[in-house]
Amino acid sequence: MGYPHPSHPKENPVLSKHFGDPEARTYDGWVKRGGYEGLKKILRLTPEAVIEEIKTSGLRGRGGAGFPTGLKWSLMPKADGRPHYLVCNADESEPGTFKDREIMRWTPHGLLEGCAIAAYAIGAERCYIYIRGEFTDPYKIMDQAVEEATARGALGDNAFGSGKRIEVILHRGAGAYICGEETAMLNSIEGKRGNPRIKPPYPAQAGLFGMPTTINNVETLAAVPHVVMRGGEWYKGLSLSNPKSTGTKLISVCGHIQRPGNYEVTMGTPMKELIYDMCGGMRPGRTLKAVIPGGSSVPIMSAAEAEDCLLDYEGVVAKGSMLGSAGMIVMDDTTDMVYQIWRLARFYAHESCAQCTQCREGTAWTTRILERILAGKGKQEHFQLLLDLSDNMTGKTICVLSDSCAAPIVSGIQKFRQEFEAYIQGAREPALAAV
Amino acid sequence: MSATAGQGGSGAGAAAGAHRGMSEHGSAHGGKGTETAPYERVFKGERLARLEWLFTKYPTKQACLLPALWLVQEARGWISEPAIGEVAEVLDLTPAYVKGVVTFYTMYHTHPVGRHFIQVCTTSPCNICGAEDVMKALLRETGCGDLGATSPDGRFTVIEVECLGACGFATPILVDDDFIEGVTPEKVSGILQRYQ
Amino acid sequence: MTEELVTVTIDGLQVSVPKGTTIIEAAKQAGILVPHYCYHPSLPSPAVCRMCLVEVEKAPKLMPACVTAVAEGQVVRVDSEKAKKAREGVLELLLINHPLDCPICDQAGECELQDYVFQEGRAGTRYSEYAKRFSPVEDFGPDVLYVPNRCILCTRCVRFMEDVAEDPVLNVSDRGDRAYIGISSEQLLDHPWAGNVVDLCPVGSLISKDFLHKARAWELDKTASVCPGCTQGCNITIDTRDDIVVRLRPRPNLEVNRHFICDYGRMNYRWLNRGDRIEAPLVRDGGHHVATDWDTALDRLGQLIRGTSGSAVILATGRASTESLGLVRRMLDRISVTAVVQVPSGEEAPLAAVPNLALRAERTPNVTGAELVGYGSDWTAGLLELASAGLVIVLDAELSQSDLNFIAQSPASVVLLGTIFPEELRNADLVLPITTMAEENGSYVNRDRRIQRYNQAKSQPGMARPAWWVAGEAIAGPGPSASAPATAAEAFELLGERWPVFAATSYDDMGFTGRVLMEPAIASGGSKSARVGTL
Repeated sequence: MGYPHPSHPKENPVLSKHFGDPEARTYDGWVKRGGYEGLKKILRLTPEAVIEEIKTSGLRGRGGAGFPTGLKWSLMPKADGRPHYLVCNADESEPGTFKDREIMRWTPHGLLEGCAIAAYAIGAERCYIYIRGEFTDPYKIMDQAVEEATARGALGDNAFGSGKRIEVILHRGAGAYICGEETAMLNSIEGKRGNPRIKPPYPAQAGLFGMPTTINNVETLAAVPHVVMRGGEWYKGLSLSNPKSTGTKLISVCGHIQRPGNYEVTMGTPMKELIYDMCGGMRPGRTLKAVIPGGSSVPIMSAAEAEDCLLDYEGVVAKGSMLGSAGMIVMDDTTDMVYQIWRLARFYAHESCAQCTQCREGTAWTTRILERILAGKGKQEHFQLLLDLSDNMTGKTICVLSDSCAAPIVSGIQKFRQEFEAYIQGAREPALAAV
Repeated sequence: MSATAGQGGSGAGAAAGAHRGMSEHGSAHGGKGTETAPYERVFKGERLARLEWLFTKYPTKQACLLPALWLVQEARGWISEPAIGEVAEVLDLTPAYVKGVVTFYTMYHTHPVGRHFIQVCTTSPCNICGAEDVMKALLRETGCGDLGATSPDGRFTVIEVECLGACGFATPILVDDDFIEGVTPEKVSGILQRYQ
Repeated sequence: MTEELVTVTIDGLQVSVPKGTTIIEAAKQAGILVPHYCYHPSLPSPAVCRMCLVEVEKAPKLMPACVTAVAEGQVVRVDSEKAKKAREGVLELLLINHPLDCPICDQAGECELQDYVFQEGRAGTRYSEYAKRFSPVEDFGPDVLYVPNRCILCTRCVRFMEDVAEDPVLNVSDRGDRAYIGISSEQLLDHPWAGNVVDLCPVGSLISKDFLHKARAWELDKTASVCPGCTQGCNITIDTRDDIVVRLRPRPNLEVNRHFICDYGRMNYRWLNRGDRIEAPLVRDGGHHVATDWDTALDRLGQLIRGTSGSAVILATGRASTESLGLVRRMLDRISVTAVVQVPSGEEAPLAAVPNLALRAERTPNVTGAELVGYGSDWTAGLLELASAGLVIVLDAELSQSDLNFIAQSPASVVLLGTIFPEELRNADLVLPITTMAEENGSYVNRDRRIQRYNQAKSQPGMARPAWWVAGEAIAGPGPSASAPATAAEAFELLGERWPVFAATSYDDMGFTGRVLMEPAIASGGSKSARVGTL
């Protein structure tokens, strides 16, 4: 459902069916709604069978990278005596994205069930759920749910009497966007600064505490019980456009839109339908100017591109951007694009972990250049300088935070150059005081 | 031994033009906190029991660092140098190591803050929905004036933060552990009254 | 077991290296330097500076050479346009907040930022409109200053303290471009090996207080030598300016000290600069000494030796070269000799993560060398022999009051081969000026029986000569002689004649990294560590 709005007929509520329903949070309430049947079912299967089902479904990582989940699970080494770990990435900090929060606060048991199934499939007895520090309510709700599930035997030393041990531990973050990067998250759990690691080695070989580890996003894991109960074929069938993009996706729509919220759509749904039908379109008297579809780390789309775009991984790529985490920021004609690009650059500069030179210095410098432009001190040379810096910041670092900073800048100059020109040529009043 | 004659704002090197990197407005960092009374240990009784329980949840003591720091902040409201020393001691780490971790994560306070700590998101999705007006209203109504400053009555500190993960419910704020959605400038004074 | 070799092509040069070698190390084998900052062969590689990005055929992105292992048939371009542009980008970004400190920065002339910027950086800045990041200088402890403005956050210092010294006293604090190297307020950088962070720092961010503003790098003469601080035998470089030792730095030797020296060795060089040296040979004439020429002095030495009835005692410093110790010993061949070497002691201080590397308790460099040529380390036994000796040779030992008392009460004639003339030895029969280890070529044998050469770093003061020369001349007798060694290498050959353990090597063979001498069971002659050496 387009929580907090009533469900729209064009939505496909699988994960979001019980958003807004407080009873769904409780163990009994969840069981009443069909919960934990999936876990019970797979405990009678082999882990390989579970992985096969997920592979069939075509489920892809919902945190932003879109890596096939079944494949990721199958990369874990066979049992060799070393402990395996599952890490659930609940660090949701990508600007524009607010879906995992809803999953945790409305269907915590759904997430736990997904974690338990995944842990079983990859041979892990311990699952750490890394919840960002600012998610105080979801943490409390998840904590309560873990207690309940353990008390009722779904988790613990003997999950549903299967003899298998599945333990879920909540780990609270402390304010760092970069900890959403999977290897940075591992370092953070280990009690270190949240620095991303170089790969190889990959987490499946040497991850948490050096042991084989799989990291999955909240939404990915929440989908797992549904795949298990209704079958991989069913999930695979939920695909309106490209067969490589299957299932449903929670799109977090925010910004200049009538009904912001989380909308669950089948992969391949046209973006136009989402914006205008489901979300009610623009505010009165306004027109669409730009959409950042995948959380702020993807290229900005023009209105024309957005209105002609299908919502799946390949569809958005075809329009020059990425589906990413599907945190859709909608901007209408009142938006000062230069100001917002500056604000995003400032975000990345603040969140850079400081390891790589290009990111550490580049994010700060691009922010400063944009400040000067906004303060009326911009120059023509700044265009080339920004593009040079963006090129320097792309494809050369340990993680993609610096690429993410470059994306709005490059696409912004490409598609909204006239707004930059307006500031540079003095046609527009400075938006910032001189620095 | 001269320090540095920086180019550009060189004269301003030590004055207003200088910055320790891109200082985030009103970050709750910077400055040494001071404890005047003798330091009282945090990890005793219930909290020590909690720490020992945490030891069973991770294979290394080092992994208990973030949870241990949260326990300190819950107990004292901020993490002082002696507290860093205590955490280092109970986890077999060095104070320098712990400090390196503390300064990485923006939610840990390294100096005392107001009785109620307010974080307001101003990243783009909220920014285009009026977050900066909410921020200004908060600064005005709390009496803080500046980001990162504590109000004269010691009641509030307001800082600007990055995306809080509630973009569809602009503008969200965190007051202590209370996550409040949909804040507008008009609602600010009503919200603040709940926090004495 | 033979290692599996992998062949790669780097900038057109083919090279075969063991499987698992990183591209940056393979490139070294090919004689190609891949520019880098955070990488260091003795530290774990984090690949954070991004300077070493190279183009690898068929790889979609530039790869960091310091952590990417070679693959069979790989073609790597270090000098490609893309790689050069990437490096130019990194350099530009490092410079935006880096102050124009070169005129006052100690690192100038040996600065890796200067070097690479000059080689392939941009000619001008594009950052001129903004203030640079500023923080004041910090005092980290006994010898190290931290200049945050110059720091490029390569984290070598943090990794050295954490992973090599295993004393994590430095951290990276804060985040993004606000990051800096931090130290906790209650700790100091006083680890016995902490001074290495100054060498590791590629720029002038961590600097030595001892060396502060003392000399410019390009004014220095650099000489390969061996540290005279203890029996570890770390390889060093002696930096001199205008014939004064201004700094000691480690010289890489993977078998002995890797890339490090301890602070004790590093700071202990001032004695090499002492001005109060014996300037000329001095012969006692009645109640005072008369300066004379070497011929006269050597004649007198010969007389004293031939005229000795009874036994002789040699009191030697452990800082004397193997050549000096050996030839002084041979000089007294016809006499019954008790030879002892002085071994001051101190606390051992290992460098935790490097096997077999420590500041040793025996605080003198050539105990093993001395033992191999018949010296013992029981100083007291040597002193006791003085009571009945006819001749005592003091080979530059630092004599305590008690030592001097023993000598004063001894009937023996006293010959001092020394650098300093102690007041209490004013009755010495003969005083011969010798060189310190910085003023001569010679060799030391470390505690692992590695014999290593050291080279002359500054000129000999006055008429001082190496002790091996003095002894060599005494052995050869008056008049020109083909057998008197003219060089340290020749002196070393003479050792091999008498102590076969040395015959297996030569100065050429020792080169810059030394040679491990065979065990005594295999070599013949040369006593095993006797407490008191006798013929």
